[in-house]
Amino acid sequence: MTETVYVQLLDLTCGALLLTAVLILWRRDLSVIVRVFALQGAALTALVAVLAAHERSGELWVIAAGVLALRAGLLPYLLRRTLAAAGEPQREARPLVNVAASLLAAAVLTFLAHAVSRPLVTLAPSPAAQAIPIAVTVVLIGFFVLVTRRHAVSQVVGFLLMDNGITALGLLTTTGVGLVVEVGVSLDVLLAVLVLQILAVRIRETFGDTDLDDLRELRD
Amino acid sequence: MNPAQVTFGAAVALALATAVAAIVVPRRVVVGAGTALTGAAGLAAGVAAVSGHSFSLVLPGLLPLSGVSFTLDALGGLFVAVTGGVAVAAGVYATSYGKASAVLPMFVLAMLLVPAAASVGTLLVCWELMALFSLLLVIGENRSRAEVTSAGRWYAVMTHLGFVSILCGLMVFAAHAPADSFAALREARLSPAVSATVFVLTLAGFASKAGIVPLHAWLPRAHPEAPSHVSALMSAAMVNLGVYGLVRVGFDLLGGGPRWWWLLVLALGALSAVHGILQAAMSTDLKRLLGQSTTENMGLVLVGVGAAGLFTASGNPVLAGLATAAALLHVVNHAAFKTLLFLAAGAVLHGTGTRDLDALGGLRRTMPVTTALFGVGALAASALPPGTAFVSEWLLLQALVHGLPPSGVDTAIALPVAVAAVALTAGLAVVTFVKAFGVGFLAKPRSEAAANAREVPYGMRAGMAIAALGCVVLALLPSLVLPAVAGGATTGLVTLRLTGVTGSLSPLLLTLWLVVAVVVVAAGVRGVVARRTRRDARLWDCGGGPMSARMEYTATSFAEPLQRVFDDVVQPELDVHVTHHEESRYLVRAVEFRRSVPDRVERRLYAPVLAATRAWGRAGRSLATGSVHRYLGYGFYTLCAALLLLAVTR
Repeated sequence: MTETVYVQLLDLTCGALLLTAVLILWRRDLSVIVRVFALQGAALTALVAVLAAHERSGELWVIAAGVLALRAGLLPYLLRRTLAAAGEPQREARPLVNVAASLLAAAVLTFLAHAVSRPLVTLAPSPAAQAIPIAVTVVLIGFFVLVTRRHAVSQVVGFLLMDNGITALGLLTTTGVGLVVEVGVSLDVLLAVLVLQILAVRIRETFGDTDLDDLRELRD
Repeated sequence: MNPAQVTFGAAVALALATAVAAIVVPRRVVVGAGTALTGAAGLAAGVAAVSGHSFSLVLPGLLPLSGVSFTLDALGGLFVAVTGGVAVAAGVYATSYGKASAVLPMFVLAMLLVPAAASVGTLLVCWELMALFSLLLVIGENRSRAEVTSAGRWYAVMTHLGFVSILCGLMVFAAHAPADSFAALREARLSPAVSATVFVLTLAGFASKAGIVPLHAWLPRAHPEAPSHVSALMSAAMVNLGVYGLVRVGFDLLGGGPRWWWLLVLALGALSAVHGILQAAMSTDLKRLLGQSTTENMGLVLVGVGAAGLFTASGNPVLAGLATAAALLHVVNHAAFKTLLFLAAGAVLHGTGTRDLDALGGLRRTMPVTTALFGVGALAASALPPGTAFVSEWLLLQALVHGLPPSGVDTAIALPVAVAAVALTAGLAVVTFVKAFGVGFLAKPRSEAAANAREVPYGMRAGMAIAALGCVVLALLPSLVLPAVAGGATTGLVTLRLTGVTGSLSPLLLTLWLVVAVVVVAAGVRGVVARRTRRDARLWDCGGGPMSARMEYTATSFAEPLQRVFDDVVQPELDVHVTHHEESRYLVRAVEFRRSVPDRVERRLYAPVLAATRAWGRAGRSLATGSVHRYLGYGFYTLCAALLLLAVTR
């Protein structure tokens, strides 16, 4: 792989990562959101694969395979199952911030991410480091989804979006934080999603809905 | 291996073994005996260290980063010995009192380790362990009672604020030294501003542990609510470690300091002494009274320490040594009589179920042993010649009086005021303990509970007897302890030559004369009376019928004249409620009188702080609406703000 092809592929995959994050913010249909999330998992896999091919590192290939299995396969499957258990098609009916404002906020967050990660980029101006702001943007958009969306499933997606961003950030800055760390983090995420899934089901069984603001009455 | 090291190791091993054994076999005998043995080993280690067998021990692997290092020198040895002695009495007492708790030996162990710590890290860890174990013991029993939980909360907050203060002070100190061991701190050269910061911060922390005004608010709450043997340990051993910390940091590590440091200590001490004993004199709760008397005695110790620092700063090592010896001797004496008094108060509580002096009385018949032992303790606590406290307070007064001639202007003002404060305190202490003993134990029982009191089991009596023995020995033969105390005082600049002091004070002779005088007077009276014929008659009651318990002095009425004298100072709250007969307003059916003496210092200083904290708490509640999104939003906006700040400032 020549250097130009590597840089172009890297930019392409990072672009896909950002695009899917924004798409999640744009769409309201939960099944579409889960599908887009799976797509982002694939983009993340592609990113890791590009890095692996460039570094010629077997370990990175293993990580790529793991990311594919977990983020494009297992986690979307679990989310789909949660949605299917609810029966009728679900929508993120009334987000706390409407879609247009959300997209504008995403633009602001992108600026913020670029401004913040400038010192990191200048520290080691490699092609991979140039892509750091994208990863930070994905983290911030994930947090934004977590804050503004009411439905439990979209909250979980927001959480996973943050985690995707963090994984991408780790890979871009250090080209692999080690297999053990990666496996540990993945296991953590999987457990968190399992717990959240059970929680979402319980909330729906108890309140008939998964709008988290219904839990307001539970405080002391 | 010298004797101090062996016995200290034995104390540590015994305490740990007792704690494990108490978990396996939760019996009072196990805990009590183990604690007593731990205390005995600690006492032996302390005595060995005071008599010159100091040792050092470094365990680098025990704690990460800082490691653990211990050094038991003469000063530390004195406090280890005192703690050990108190633990012996409290341990024997605990064989038949309270719940079997594995925390008790661990608390004693933590108190033994604090004076042996030889680095900042070790000291702080042991200090915190001591605070936590004592907190567990305070709230361990009766935790369902509201007073206990409130006392526990006060204690937890105050002790941790004190800990933070000590932590900050010692961290600043260690930052200006090559390492955090005490040896390195002694070598450190500090600028006056830094050393003053260190001193004031550590003084605040150590003073709060010693219950010094204005940081005393926890003491009269926590000490009475704890089980009595724990009260004894806290009030007789734990508060001393505040004094230890002050002496160690002030004299040993900082090597003395400017005069204003010690004037501050002197002023705090005098204030605590007078305030503590005034509150105690007004108190009607037996254990609360004893707790307030602890504040008073620690105040007296601080007067001695402050005077010693003042004399050191003005270059008078002999007087400084005398003042230090007086202060440290008072620490030992106070430990002895306060142990005895708290244990006896526990016995009263055990026998009657109340500690309200107004509801006691008449225990002389039902609980003779406890009465006799409390009497010994009360005598020891009042600064009168055959008493234990007399020796040290007399020494303290000597030091203060002799400090006058060579002093400067500030000292010339401070020392006479201190002399007056010590004298006033001594007088009020007599009133307080006459009240506690006379109203609590003599005359007729004032309640059903007091009338049906039962003498306590032998284990408790033995614990009290050990403490009483300590009081008597210290009262009659202080020369046994005085050289050791003076040895403990040889830290840094302070050395003591006791020429002319032991000579002019011989409590044994004094007591002998007193006994002779009493016998002569008694024999004389007997001789005069025996010539007349005896006639049995009822006590003169002004014709008002047989004397009942309602005609006696109560604790409230006994303190009433004193309360009038100090009316402007204590500002008691009086509430007189008169109920009339329905037929006529001129006929009174009942008069209800209620008096409470709130702590003015506490009210002025603590109430505004507590009110402000409460207001903050209320404001904080409106932030927490229960919406998950709002909570997440707080995090999100904070993160964005932090990132923005980072982006802008770089």
